[in-house]
Amino acid sequence: MPQGDYIELHRKRHGYRLDHFERKRKKEAREVHKHSERAQKSLGIKGKMIAKKNYKEKVQMKRTLKMHEESSSRRKVDDEVQEGAVPAYLLDRETTTRAKILSNTIKQKRKEKAGKWEVPLPKVRPVAEDEMFKVLRSGKRKTKQWKRMVTKATFVGPGFTRKPPKYERFIRPSGLRFTKAHVTHPELKCTFNLEIIGVKKNPNGPMYTSLGVMTKGTIIEVNVSELGLVTPGGKVVWGKYAQVTNNPENDGCINAVLLV
Amino acid sequence: MAQYDFKKITVVPTGNDLIDIVLSRTQRQTPTVIHKGNAISRVRQFYMRKVKFTETNFTDKLSKTIEDFPRVEDIHPFYGDLLHVLYNKDHYKLALGQLNTARNLIKRIREDYVKLLKYGDSLYRCKSLKRAALGRMCTVTKRIGPSLAYLEHVRQHMARLPSINTGAPTILICGCPNVGKSSFLNKITRADVEVQPYAFTTKSLFVGHTDYKYLRYQVIDTPGLLDRPLEDRNIIEMCSVTALVNLHAAILFFLDLSGSCGYSISQQAALFHSIKMMFRNNPVLIVCNKTDLQTLEGLSGEDLKLVMEMKSAALKTIPVSTITDEGVMAVKNAACQRLLDQRSERKMKSKKMPTVLNRFHVAMPKPRDQKERPVCIPQAVLEARAEEAAHEERKTEKDIENENGGAGVYSASLRKHYILADDDWKLDILPEFLDGHNVYDFIDPDILQRVEELEREESAVEEDGGDFEIEDEDFTAEAEKDLQEIRKRKKLLIQKHRIKKSTAESRPTVPRKFDKDRKFTTERMGRQLSSLGIDPSRAIERARSRSVSRKKLRLRSRSMSRSRSVLSQRPLGEVVPGEGFKDSAQKMKAVTMARNATKKRNKDARRGEADRVIPTLRPKHLFSGKRSIGKTDRR
Repeated sequence: MPQGDYIELHRKRHGYRLDHFERKRKKEAREVHKHSERAQKSLGIKGKMIAKKNYKEKVQMKRTLKMHEESSSRRKVDDEVQEGAVPAYLLDRETTTRAKILSNTIKQKRKEKAGKWEVPLPKVRPVAEDEMFKVLRSGKRKTKQWKRMVTKATFVGPGFTRKPPKYERFIRPSGLRFTKAHVTHPELKCTFNLEIIGVKKNPNGPMYTSLGVMTKGTIIEVNVSELGLVTPGGKVVWGKYAQVTNNPENDGCINAVLLV
Repeated sequence: MAQYDFKKITVVPTGNDLIDIVLSRTQRQTPTVIHKGNAISRVRQFYMRKVKFTETNFTDKLSKTIEDFPRVEDIHPFYGDLLHVLYNKDHYKLALGQLNTARNLIKRIREDYVKLLKYGDSLYRCKSLKRAALGRMCTVTKRIGPSLAYLEHVRQHMARLPSINTGAPTILICGCPNVGKSSFLNKITRADVEVQPYAFTTKSLFVGHTDYKYLRYQVIDTPGLLDRPLEDRNIIEMCSVTALVNLHAAILFFLDLSGSCGYSISQQAALFHSIKMMFRNNPVLIVCNKTDLQTLEGLSGEDLKLVMEMKSAALKTIPVSTITDEGVMAVKNAACQRLLDQRSERKMKSKKMPTVLNRFHVAMPKPRDQKERPVCIPQAVLEARAEEAAHEERKTEKDIENENGGAGVYSASLRKHYILADDDWKLDILPEFLDGHNVYDFIDPDILQRVEELEREESAVEEDGGDFEIEDEDFTAEAEKDLQEIRKRKKLLIQKHRIKKSTAESRPTVPRKFDKDRKFTTERMGRQLSSLGIDPSRAIERARSRSVSRKKLRLRSRSMSRSRSVLSQRPLGEVVPGEGFKDSAQKMKAVTMARNATKKRNKDARRGEADRVIPTLRPKHLFSGKRSIGKTDRR
């Protein structure tokens, strides 16, 4: 029975077929034509996938060619002119540069006082009420229409208990409740799976904020203890704000960007 | 006790390939069309099905791989250790574990998204959710890409491991590199292992099989061992250590007496003593190889002492030379016998033995008196035996062949058994060509008979001198030639005319299918013709193929052709040389075939082979009408 490296052993003992190398060379030469034939004749999704792959390769090839073509000659280097740089004879004596670097906490306090926050998504598409809620009919004859079911992702706290079913107006289905969010750190460019502490503000209105509905643009508070951030005072930061950047009901997950 | 077969493991696809396979399966095997206007429950169901289907496929493929690969704990410790040595047990387990985790993750993804899909209230939302689900599953699969590649690599190597039956009687060959283990294996078994002068030619275990006393033994060749502590050993040496430790086998320790392997006897003895404890209670034989270069007696004193030391630890020492084949069989027999004895001992000691032993009883009859009763064979049988022994064998052709040099050298003379009128003709050579013709075409077995007949006819014609007016005239050479030409042409014309007359062109027949009621008779024709006022007799006779003119022509031609030899008007089945027939029977067969073919054609009123006229191209019964049962969309 063939054991071990029997193929190599056979080659060593008997050599190759007389036409082996010629056949190999010809087969490899034919590969190009076969590739082209497959690309031209494939239909449907297969053809699209082949075309996509070929396009990627083409782009890559073009890049490498361009790289090789970059001339190695030296060019004149322009010194970068700083923005706002003013020549000495135009300097005004009054303007002073701020020497002190403000700490993060102070910056946050100032922002809070001002009521303005710099957020990644300043404007969001407004969500209408009939998009947000689904009307549930109740009662013996199904004529009462005061109940509403939320159709978007929600967050309820850990100690949440429902109101008695007879009295609850807004129903937040458990299938749409999320506890974790994928939070990206904008500088580190990496994503963590962090627990949500609460919903801070929903741009569509205070009612949604109180319900805990998370749509695109909502500011949520997340538990960042696993990031290991420390204040200058030495205290451990465990909660930070983040803004939701996707539509959670369409993707099944909450993607957010940390607000540093 | 099992024979392990690692070739049955299915191929492990790479990460990207697995994704492609599963996604294209989903695209092909689930319905693809859904509209915004469909009921929302239908939309949900459509997308949920896709998510579930994808998850099932991923899970199936990953499960198959996980189950196919052997679990290191569950298999025989020899294979377990071998797998550990070759592929690193931890890495192997980790890879399989990763596949398992991926499988669970994909299951969880499916559960989550199917739950979410239940709340999907628009097509766009359901579609996005399905897209997200499939995307996440594919990301999980992409992450296990390296594990899949590693497992595929392992699988390919595992398939080429020798299949060693751990329960069968085994002989293990070990020793220093280059002592002659592989050549010994090649000698005993049919395994064709590479033998080269450099060390570590054998890089893994090789298996061969040999027979002894109707039992099959496995012989395992190992790579050479160097005298090193266990921690320093490399993978190749670890393979042989694994085999030594885990297999119950007769161990043949090979010793190179001449030192041509590059290791002196003292080094080899040191190796022996260091691996001695691995032998445990396996029978050990020391095989002193390469005795053609250096015999056991010719060893120096110290070396001899070392060999004696080794001998005390082993059962036997046997000098062997694999090149000259001396002692090879002795070693094999000794090892096999020892194993057989061990087996028998074990079986005797086992609990089942008494039950087996009790089942049969060899009875020795007690002698009733001291009378001697020798063997008694009747005289006739003895005589017959003696006669048979004395009877000489007929000398067969095979014996003659063997005497004269064998199959390729001697070729039997097939002619010496020919039956001929004169035995001298047996070895005559027949000429093949003469005057540009093949001699065989002109050979006629009945030639003598024909010659006699011809002479007879000619004499008969000569007596009948009256009709040869033309023959009496003297012709000049050209006139002679012209005469021949005329006769030939006339003959051709006559033949053509005869053929023409026999086909339907000139004798149109109404085929039977148009004349089922048998209305087209000659009488009817006669009546119709006479009603028209024409004499029908000739027509009737012509139709009946008995024409007057033909008779006349025949007579005339007969008189004209009397000058020719009567032999040209041969009987029908007679073979004319040059026609190409083997014998009379073949010619008759050809004539019959021709006749049958023309008969059929005539019945269809066809003029010849090439007449393919269709009288009605579209018969009404095929191209019209309703069917009583069935559909009419095909005609």
